[in-house]
Amino acid sequence: MAFAWKSAGLSYNRYLAVAARAVRRSLKDGPRANAERRGQMDLRFAKWENGKQGEVKSLAQAQATAGQAESK
Amino acid sequence: MSSLRFARSALRARPSAFRVPLQRRGYAEAVNDKIKLSLTLPHQSIFKSAGVVQVNIPAESGEMGVLANHVPSIEQLKPGLVEVVEEGGASKKFFLSGGFAVVQPDSQLSINAVEGFPLEDFSADAVRSQIAEAQKIASGNGSEQDIAEAKIELEVLETLQAHLK
Repeated sequence: MAFAWKSAGLSYNRYLAVAARAVRRSLKDGPRANAERRGQMDLRFAKWENGKQGEVKSLAQAQATAGQAESK
Repeated sequence: MSSLRFARSALRARPSAFRVPLQRRGYAEAVNDKIKLSLTLPHQSIFKSAGVVQVNIPAESGEMGVLANHVPSIEQLKPGLVEVVEEGGASKKFFLSGGFAVVQPDSQLSINAVEGFPLEDFSADAVRSQIAEAQKIASGNGSEQDIAEAKIELEVLETLQAHLK
């Protein structure tokens, strides 16, 4: 069986991240506070062209839109 | 003289011993052998090459139990329960969010996952409220990605709920 998430344009990496997020949120309050901090990702990037910095984008958002475009 | 006689009887005894292949592995021996388990997460290693008797893993191809001298293999894991049976029959249960298990030829088992916690760390209430939320998104009319993500969450949460009971 092909994976359902694959046909929706999600990568295996994204699949793992979503599954891990669900696991973290299911924890009891004590361990959850520690665990949720690990799920945060904040990475920005910009493309440089002709010596000039392009628009600064968040990596997570850019990946989400790229995935959407791919599945269409 | 008596030592010579002893040597001779030993010689005579040998052929019968040869009839039993030395390589054969009986069930009792297999259970006595241990498998070296490394259960690692990006931020923590729960087991570090620890000798255990058996490990049950939720592979994508089906639930499987791994004993010592298992055939080398690589298995993708579903989000699910990993049960580690230690010497003396005590077992520890961990819920992993999915990853890979690699069985190496020398009775080594490496399990890698993104998140994994002992079963007693989970709250049934948190699972229940998340299921309700994910079901709402999965049956709603969001984008294809949102629905797919909600379905992944549902798969994880429903497995978790089944084990928490």
